[in-house]
Amino acid sequence: MDRPMDEVTVVQLPLWQLLAMVGLPVVVLAVIVAVLKRVARAASMEKGEPDWSVPQLEGRAGNTPLHRWDVRCKIVTILVYSFMITAIHKMPTALAAIGLSCLVLVVARVSLARVLMRLLAIVGFIAMFLLVMPFTVPLKNGDTVIVFGGLQWLHFSMRGFHLAATIAAKAVAITLLMEPLLATAPLPVTLQGLSRLGVPEMVGQMVLLSYRYLNVFRHEARRMSTGMQVRGFRKRTGLATVQAMANFLGMLFVRSFERTERVFDAMRARGYKGRFPEQAELRLRPVDIVGAGLWLTIGVALLVYDRMAW
Amino acid sequence: MHISDGVLPVSVSIGSYAVSLGLTVWSARKTRSEEMPKLAVVTAAFFVASLIHIPFGPTSVHLIIPGLTGAILGPSAFLSIGLGLLLQSLLFQFGGLTALGANALMMGVPALACGWFFQAFKGSSPSRQALVGGLVGAGGTVLAALILAVLLVTGGEDFFGVAKLALAAHVPVIIIEGAVSALTIGFLARVKPALLLHGLEPAHGQAHG
Repeated sequence: MDRPMDEVTVVQLPLWQLLAMVGLPVVVLAVIVAVLKRVARAASMEKGEPDWSVPQLEGRAGNTPLHRWDVRCKIVTILVYSFMITAIHKMPTALAAIGLSCLVLVVARVSLARVLMRLLAIVGFIAMFLLVMPFTVPLKNGDTVIVFGGLQWLHFSMRGFHLAATIAAKAVAITLLMEPLLATAPLPVTLQGLSRLGVPEMVGQMVLLSYRYLNVFRHEARRMSTGMQVRGFRKRTGLATVQAMANFLGMLFVRSFERTERVFDAMRARGYKGRFPEQAELRLRPVDIVGAGLWLTIGVALLVYDRMAW
Repeated sequence: MHISDGVLPVSVSIGSYAVSLGLTVWSARKTRSEEMPKLAVVTAAFFVASLIHIPFGPTSVHLIIPGLTGAILGPSAFLSIGLGLLLQSLLFQFGGLTALGANALMMGVPALACGWFFQAFKGSSPSRQALVGGLVGAGGTVLAALILAVLLVTGGEDFFGVAKLALAAHVPVIIIEGAVSALTIGFLARVKPALLLHGLEPAHGQAHG
């Protein structure tokens, strides 16, 4: 610590409280995550063999305002609003954004298990910030620092913790919006909306195709690994496992390349000339634009509130 | 490691979106338009490959394969990786939607560099291709880790600690990635060498499989 400590508020705590402050939340979080993962997986697991011809990201049928909202307005609004949330600096605003996202979740009535899965996916990355930043941010004037049991090099900075928690809150607020964005319309319609917004049509088609073959290859990979297990293969640390996995990958690539030719021939034989038929008729109603305007106004208001002193 | 939403400063996330968009357009120009559906199918295979976990001591690492993608797809790799990341973000929330541009830079630029390096130095014997493949696999991961660290540091000196940890966390991945890339490229060089030459060019005489 090079800087003079007199500008920094130092709170002395005994060492065991460090374990309580850092270790306990980590353990509790790990247990909660493990349990939630199991619950979410069980909830999203389909019964029997899934139908691989139908992508699973189909929007659930519903008649909420988000389902009726024009897909172009929805994409633009949620994307712009997400960037606005990224620009937030302060904790209370970030918490307000989470509240708003929860409100959207309730209105859109999306599957909570899927929302949960999405939150679980970001836990690891966000936990890294929460664990590392309090101990590594440089000290500044007016900081409050907790020092444990006289270990001068190990100081828990409240500012760092606050910063990391704000990042986590922003990440959660945006992640909560992804399911309302994607699950309130079938994927082809969402992509059609994208292409109407000026994204080349080829992009949407590539997404659809990769999405479909993603499921095919996952299925194939699972079959291949079942075959390996039946022949006695078990994953271990070591070169033998790496060798086996490398051959596995190579085989997956060879099979996928061979399949591309057949897929493409089959598409052309069915009259593919560079575009798929349109899925739905898109109509822009005044209420769609009002909704977009309203939502973005809330976003701007959040940002203004964020930049004001509090 | 994918960057999630809310981490990068808004200027950096928008800026990296713009740069990624430019690179994607360049990559799409380098790909013949009738090859695009094929690229989509191959992207799906890479996507599945990146979900595979390999045990490493008490934990396991999942592959990010920028090296392999670059070596096999060449300039089309950026388009493929952008597409893959978009799907990962949409389906699994691996990488936030607002950080998509940054993630595409982090994975796509190493892939382009690896593709160039592999094609320039691959030689002709399978063992040399495997060796260069290993170098490319490890080097691509090093480059991806460095870009991740630079992106994190744009947040200011508060982020130095996290950037250092992210770099350190990549060390096991670099080792595994190098080994797997070397062996996979060795496998492909023996089994289907055409893949390492042309990437997406049609494989003649392989109509049935």
